[in-house]
Amino acid sequence: MVKNITIFTTNTCGYCQMVKKYLGAKGMTYDEVNLDEHPHRQAEALNLSGAMTVPVTVVTMQDDSQEVIVGYNLARLAPAVA
Amino acid sequence: MADKKDVPKHDVIVVGAGPAALTAAIYTTREDIETLLLERGVVGGLAAVTDKIDNYPGFPDGVEGLTLSDQLRKQAERFGAVIDLGEVLAIHDEGEFKRLETTEGDMLARAVLIATGSDYKKIGVPGEQEFYARGVHYCATCDGAFYRDKKLVVVGGGNSAVQEAIFLTRYASHIDMLVRSTVKASDVLQGELQKFIDDGKVTVHLGTTTNEIVGQDNAVTKVVGIDQASGKKVEFPTDGVFVFVGLMPNSQFLKGSPIDLDKIGFIKTDEDLHTTMPGVFAAGDIRSGATMQIASAAGEGATAALKIREYLEGHL
Repeated sequence: MVKNITIFTTNTCGYCQMVKKYLGAKGMTYDEVNLDEHPHRQAEALNLSGAMTVPVTVVTMQDDSQEVIVGYNLARLAPAVA
Repeated sequence: MADKKDVPKHDVIVVGAGPAALTAAIYTTREDIETLLLERGVVGGLAAVTDKIDNYPGFPDGVEGLTLSDQLRKQAERFGAVIDLGEVLAIHDEGEFKRLETTEGDMLARAVLIATGSDYKKIGVPGEQEFYARGVHYCATCDGAFYRDKKLVVVGGGNSAVQEAIFLTRYASHIDMLVRSTVKASDVLQGELQKFIDDGKVTVHLGTTTNEIVGQDNAVTKVVGIDQASGKKVEFPTDGVFVFVGLMPNSQFLKGSPIDLDKIGFIKTDEDLHTTMPGVFAAGDIRSGATMQIASAAGEGATAALKIREYLEGHL
């Protein structure tokens, strides 16, 4: 069971829009961290994903376990939020 | 394989949802031809991850790629086009219907338009794969924000390389552009780039190959190239590398199919944009001979839609 979802994005990232659109279509709510508006949180995104890219989607489950999905990767995103 | 009667049937399935695909869908759905688009990546394709598009007609001040893509999507959806997320794995000719194997299960379509476009090519040098997304990137609008006040290398000298280098100047402290031969971008883009060269923000290195991306501790530290005039090794200290050296076709799913590809992998069509499989058309960047322009892709999408209508009328 999903507890919360955080997406790291930027203003210009098309793949970020797709992740938000996918979650929106599933009726799921999420927190968004826009790295253009909050550049001091880049290190957090990098530490979580190991990649200098967005989107980074962090799915936290009720038991506080986390799944981190880099990019617009439906093969991983869909089961993570199912 | 599922029985045919259990498989969802469509009039037209468009593979992809970039400008060619969305334009085709605007035309087919306005003619009441039921149309499903299947997109595996981002709606809008490469256009959606391009910062600014200056040469698409109707936008005198240019338009953000993401905005143009969204407008095209809304226009197609207004007439009833349905865009689903999914990847097509193979297309089979079963006569009246084509059967598409997809990640969402099999689907049938009376006609198919392949508009899967292209992706940025890799350069194929040591370090490129190792540092992928940790210093080596192919999407400036996605990853540029990680390089605030850092040094960057941009590889390439075409329209995309120049456009994305200009975009990256909003973040980077300095950009070295490594251009194997000469800059081939449009005069307008070169003029825009010149402003950043004059400001000392960008340095263009013509006749310079990119031979290795070097790093340590999980981070890129330099790019090693060859200055072709002198034959000498040159090094560019950097925090990251963005690569824009041309496009490769998204046609891997057609390998081994009866749909003919050219030697690079682009789809061969006749003048009606019909492929070698009856009822299957191709438009946009994926088509052999395409000009790789968004305006051309949109035009081909419209043409393909009209030819599909003719095909469907002849096969009812």
